[in-house]
Amino acid sequence: MLDFIIGKFNFWFYVILMAVGLFAMLAKRNLVKKLIGMNIFQTAIILFYVSIGVKKGNVHVPIIVGGHGHEGELIQAADYLNPLPHVLMLTAIVVSIATTGVALAIIIMIYRRYNTLNEDEIIEIRQKQLEAEV
Amino acid sequence: MKVIILIFVILSGGLLIYGTMDMPAWGDPQSPANSYVSPRYIEEAYAKTETPNIVSAVLADYRGYDTMGETTVIFTAALVCAFLLRKNSDEDEDKS
Repeated sequence: MLDFIIGKFNFWFYVILMAVGLFAMLAKRNLVKKLIGMNIFQTAIILFYVSIGVKKGNVHVPIIVGGHGHEGELIQAADYLNPLPHVLMLTAIVVSIATTGVALAIIIMIYRRYNTLNEDEIIEIRQKQLEAEV
Repeated sequence: MKVIILIFVILSGGLLIYGTMDMPAWGDPQSPANSYVSPRYIEEAYAKTETPNIVSAVLADYRGYDTMGETTVIFTAALVCAFLLRKNSDEDEDKS
């Protein structure tokens, strides 16, 4: 039981962080708060993936020690962290920045048109507009 | 409504915590993610790409086309932001 807690506690933090993000996305009425919730959700997944690449013990970050000029030395895989989750999450961070930017631009457009960011008020205004058109 | 959402979030979080029971322990050097594909990249990346930073080697050399496609994503996002936020003269007519 103790091994289970010590071995897996990091995943629980990411699950909690993901639950916070999901709750913010579903329950908050303010659009900016929803967007922040989405960012927290993405951060939880990025942290989860990065934590998969961790190796315990005396290991280096995935940069060859000494750099150029060490061609002859044998590189042991056990001496370096797993670089692949880092690479994939670099891609995910780029996509997350792009989605956040587009979402913020759309939120600015919504605010210009309706003068509010509250979801309920926007739906109310929109319904009044639709009734006026009919 | 918030109570229903809270129950749903707690349930899904509990399901995910149940799922972590099958995950390898934190920092396990023998975990599946650390033992099948990545040793090959760590051992061969420097000899093949002459880049000491393995992350850069994988990002820019092994996955070069993927990174090039990523610039398209950023470009599209920048284009969308520019089109959405520009001050266009006929915005008043558009509002109607």
